[in-house]
Amino acid sequence: MAQEPETLHLDISSEYFRMDSEEVRKARSIHWYARTDWGMAVLSYEDSSFLLKHPLLTQGSAKWPAQHGVTEGHFDRWWQKTLLVLEGDEHNRIRRLVNPAFSPRRIQPLHERFRSLANSLIDDWVGVGKTEFASRFAAPYATRILCMILGIDERDWKKIHQLASTIGLGLGITIQENIARIDEAIAELTRYAKFLVRSRRQSPRDDILSTLVETRDTDDGKLSDQELINLIILLIFAGIDTTRNQLALSVEAFSKQPDQWEKLAANPDHYAAKAVEEALRVNPIGRWISREAADTIQHKERTIEKGTTLHLFTLTSATDPAAFDNPDRIDLDAERAPHFAFGGGIHHCLGHFVARADIGIALSAMATRMKDLRVEEGAEWLPDSGNTGANKLPITFSRRF
Amino acid sequence: MKIFVEMAKCENHGQCAISAPNNFELDSDGNLRYQESFGEEDLHDIEDAIDSCPLQAISLDRDPTYA
Repeated sequence: MAQEPETLHLDISSEYFRMDSEEVRKARSIHWYARTDWGMAVLSYEDSSFLLKHPLLTQGSAKWPAQHGVTEGHFDRWWQKTLLVLEGDEHNRIRRLVNPAFSPRRIQPLHERFRSLANSLIDDWVGVGKTEFASRFAAPYATRILCMILGIDERDWKKIHQLASTIGLGLGITIQENIARIDEAIAELTRYAKFLVRSRRQSPRDDILSTLVETRDTDDGKLSDQELINLIILLIFAGIDTTRNQLALSVEAFSKQPDQWEKLAANPDHYAAKAVEEALRVNPIGRWISREAADTIQHKERTIEKGTTLHLFTLTSATDPAAFDNPDRIDLDAERAPHFAFGGGIHHCLGHFVARADIGIALSAMATRMKDLRVEEGAEWLPDSGNTGANKLPITFSRRF
Repeated sequence: MKIFVEMAKCENHGQCAISAPNNFELDSDGNLRYQESFGEEDLHDIEDAIDSCPLQAISLDRDPTYA
């Protein structure tokens, strides 16, 4: 009889759990997965790559509100119809219609505006040699870029940021106690989204929202008004906190490797894209991607029963020594295999080209103007989870110019 | 004109199969299968697939002499 492999148990619900730890590295060296109170944790690169795209492993988040006592209301109704949780034909029909609006070709013309925004935010504090990065750069940058894409007046960014944070509470385990505020924020964004759709239909502009509205009209009503509104709310929900937090995580990662920061500063056009990929690889905002077995499957020696939850550990798989040389170090000259920070399969992140472009532009702008980057006392980090990052990130630096 | 996929880049996410189901599919093992040749009526869907590929691994080889 085959011997059961030894697997470690990881306490991922603890606020002290860290994916970047000897405990997790040890678990990964022992076996391709570990046990957790919330299902399996997939650790190796090879198995993450395979299971992430497995057709019988679905996204599995549809039940999230109900599992936490929320079975009705604006948030729940919106959630059940977001691309994030839809599967099958309904998902594919919407995804097919919206994908081209987020292509590199469509994003390229916005690069200069991203760069101007980055530089204008840096101008505000570069002279004093320190800043609170989360509120003085990451939040306004991420939110105002989302405003650009949807054609929202950038002066409204604080309001949009606030609404996005409130809806974000819907992903927290305290969803039930916050549900009245969350529902109200969804209702407010729904009104706002209706107004945006109506105004773009009357007078199209050069923004992604106009492209999406046009998609609906020329494709004979294939993307309904309600689907467009749901999508706008999803973009605000999924496109702001993620980028904001990934910017902070990227800065933290580079502050530990000044040699690579200098390399980026010396040749930003050459290294910007690689800098983004390396930051996402060693310090991703989504520490895991969740999946649920829609049916019982066999993978290697393990039978994964229908209904099993899997957490694919992104940082862990992307620093697996079996797939990467010198895996824990950022190396802008290394040829690396792709990481899974943007998920994969049919639910691969919709906005990844936008995120990749805007983070690359932000890091380049900072590297060319700032050196000796340090994270100071007082940083406030969220726990490692599907959505981590910094609420506060005090940094100091020397100005180059 | 032919479809060309850089298989070394392809990660089998399957976004192309969502955009252009007549031309791309994932087999039962989850690996990409595609037809190089296609009908003119599928061109728009294939262009969407090119735009949507997360790895940007798909192109149209417009001049067969450079294939």
